[in-house]
Amino acid sequence: MLIRLALRNIAANTKRSIITVILGLVSTALLVFSTAWMDGSHQQMITNAVEIYSGYIQITGDNFRDSPSYDHLIFDVAGLQRDVEAVNGVALFTPRFESFVLFSVGDKAVGGMLTGIMPEKEQHISRLKRSLQEGDYLGENDTNQLYIGSELARRLHVTIGDEVAFVGNGADYSFAADRLQVKGIFQTGLFEFDASSAFLAKPYFDMIMAADNMATHGIVLPDTLDNSVQLAKSIGEKIGGEYQSASWQQIMAALVKSMKLDSVFGYITLGIVFTVIFFVVMIYTLLTVFARIREIGIMRAVGTTPKQIFSLLLLESSLLGVVSVCGGGIVGGLFAYYYSVHPMVFSGMEEQFKQYGLAVTAIPTAFEPLTILRDMVVMFVSLLLSTLYPIIKVNRYKPIEAIHHV
Amino acid sequence: MFKLAFRMAWASLVKRSTRSFMVVLMICTSLWGLLVMQGVYDGMTEQMIANAIRSDSGEVSLFAKGYRLDPGLDKLVAPEKDEEAKLTTHLASDSRVATAVYRLRQNGLVATANYSRNAEIFGVELEKEKGAGQLHRYLHKGEYGFGKQGKGVIIGYKLAAKLQVDIGRKIVLSAQDRHSEVTSIALKVTGIVKTNNMALDERAVFINLARARDFLGVPGGFSQVAIMLKDPAAVHTFQQDVQAHYPDLAVFRWDEMYPALMQSRVMMKGFSLVVSIMIFGVAGLGIFGVMLVSVLERMREFGIMLAIGTGFGQVRTVILIESLCMGLSGFAAGAVTGFMSLLYFKKYGLDLTMFSDAFEEFGMDAITYAIIRVDYFTTALAAVTLATLVSIYLPLRMLRKTKPIEVINEG
Repeated sequence: MLIRLALRNIAANTKRSIITVILGLVSTALLVFSTAWMDGSHQQMITNAVEIYSGYIQITGDNFRDSPSYDHLIFDVAGLQRDVEAVNGVALFTPRFESFVLFSVGDKAVGGMLTGIMPEKEQHISRLKRSLQEGDYLGENDTNQLYIGSELARRLHVTIGDEVAFVGNGADYSFAADRLQVKGIFQTGLFEFDASSAFLAKPYFDMIMAADNMATHGIVLPDTLDNSVQLAKSIGEKIGGEYQSASWQQIMAALVKSMKLDSVFGYITLGIVFTVIFFVVMIYTLLTVFARIREIGIMRAVGTTPKQIFSLLLLESSLLGVVSVCGGGIVGGLFAYYYSVHPMVFSGMEEQFKQYGLAVTAIPTAFEPLTILRDMVVMFVSLLLSTLYPIIKVNRYKPIEAIHHV
Repeated sequence: MFKLAFRMAWASLVKRSTRSFMVVLMICTSLWGLLVMQGVYDGMTEQMIANAIRSDSGEVSLFAKGYRLDPGLDKLVAPEKDEEAKLTTHLASDSRVATAVYRLRQNGLVATANYSRNAEIFGVELEKEKGAGQLHRYLHKGEYGFGKQGKGVIIGYKLAAKLQVDIGRKIVLSAQDRHSEVTSIALKVTGIVKTNNMALDERAVFINLARARDFLGVPGGFSQVAIMLKDPAAVHTFQQDVQAHYPDLAVFRWDEMYPALMQSRVMMKGFSLVVSIMIFGVAGLGIFGVMLVSVLERMREFGIMLAIGTGFGQVRTVILIESLCMGLSGFAAGAVTGFMSLLYFKKYGLDLTMFSDAFEEFGMDAITYAIIRVDYFTTALAAVTLATLVSIYLPLRMLRKTKPIEVINEG
């Protein structure tokens, strides 16, 4: 009975109902798409930060992260590797040794990071191999073959086959220097990384830097990427206090916080828009119920209780709300899905994107049905709340007042 | 007649006080939110730009041709003494120039006993830097100086954290000198700066200009001349004039050196415009609903007015005043509350230190000082007025098509 009455009333005020539905639909679609956009850009930032080089889980010597000196290195890589690989959920472990050196070619010298890596394992853990631009990626048995960032190569004026000298400190604080030959040039898209990084096969690196069985850190690839925090904890328990195991959320705490901050600002902006929509829906509900105030007065006079009136009006709002959030969810969801498959390209904004750690200008949205459902529920509750005041106000009138209301 | 129309409009607004109040509240709240958002967001962007200009680029920077693409000591501004004298005299005599600082830069390596990092070495004159970019204001720890013998060094706070050095600790700088020889120098950390310019905080090492010349074997010339102008708005003409005067130099504006910051500013403007259009579009819809119902409810009243000889223009004036009263009251309330809030945030700042890590990640200050621009208010006034006028177009059209006798009889 109530539903039939509510549907009739909605149909009787077609234009206002349509406007209310459109407002709710647009708001929901906007919220769904904005959330998908924010989540998508954040995921892209994480993927960039984690997968290009940093890795999902990092293991270092105790206190290395706070005090990154050669006193806090991993001094038994083989033993650590055995322990880490024994932990359930570890797909791969690879050690790295990072050292800051001065690269020199002729009259050019540039400071940068020279890192010893295990080329075979590294290709599963980072995007270094996939970022090859020219020449070849490193092989496990390579000796003085250098894999160098494109911008660093440009600054040093070197190309494939050219020689690069370097000076730096070995792991035993001794003076280390060598002549290396450029084997490959990579470009990840992260300007600073490409401008300061070069890699050697670790066996050779260990020899020239006196770093045998040592590493500045090790990277773990988890079986399940979402499991990084728990796995880092399990590894930490296994390897003991001599080492520190940290997930990307801990290593890049500032980045995680910055994404939260970005979301906060995003939701504040949406909040301002939704406040206006909230008021407009409230105003339209007020106009609708007050247009029917005499009808409501007569209903009350013939015995309809205030509770029944309240339920009827709330049901009308709920029906309109359901239609609008479902429509908005579908529209917003379709957009979110389309742009997750066909990422939005922001050509001309490269510099801005680099600042936010994005190596690409194509940003996919995150299509997550559960998040869409959550946003739809949030919007439905908001729409319902916006109609409460007019409904309560009209229900306060006495029947006789309502009938004589002009 | 205008007085009468105003009284009629006012009476109608008072009679329907709840809905009138809601429209005013809607405009007020949305305008307040919009103004605070614009002021705070613009404040963030402008702070980032100011940090970059003051700590590095100035409004304009001079380099040797090709230096920015391929930096090195072989590409210097005014390497000969007479050229240097000519340049310094010229800049000192240009009334548009507030300050000019002269820097020698070289990429190198900074090391402690335990660790090393790549670094950008800046040979600077601290007194001039103080006057120009107010580098001393960014001092985070220690003193703003290189010590009595000039053997001190000031470094970025992120670099200091990575190297685990504090005031008084020794660091070794290594770099290639002008003769392509790798040379080193040991210096003591006298100061640590936090500029919120990421490039400087992570890599900058400031040493005395004379010591840098000695260390790098460069008797004369500069890598960069950063110029601050008295009137930043004159930056384009100043750039053109200097370029014409020194055709062999590369003259860059700050926005050419920091395109990301310029893009941030453009993006923020576009973002504000989109949000404003959305807000005022929806607000217009709210006013439209109220005005439409207001007109429909009074069709008989307007019909009688038209039947006894009131001109349509006069009826239109009543409706126009009614909608403008709501729109402008909302604007006034929103503008006042928005202005007061912005004034507060301009003076005391919006303290977001709980997110300080995140701000540092992007080279931003954790306390944001809002800015207030007149165009926030003029644009909002124009938008509210437009939304108000557009919202009554349809109700007026309906009223115009109505025949007075028919609506009177309908009642």
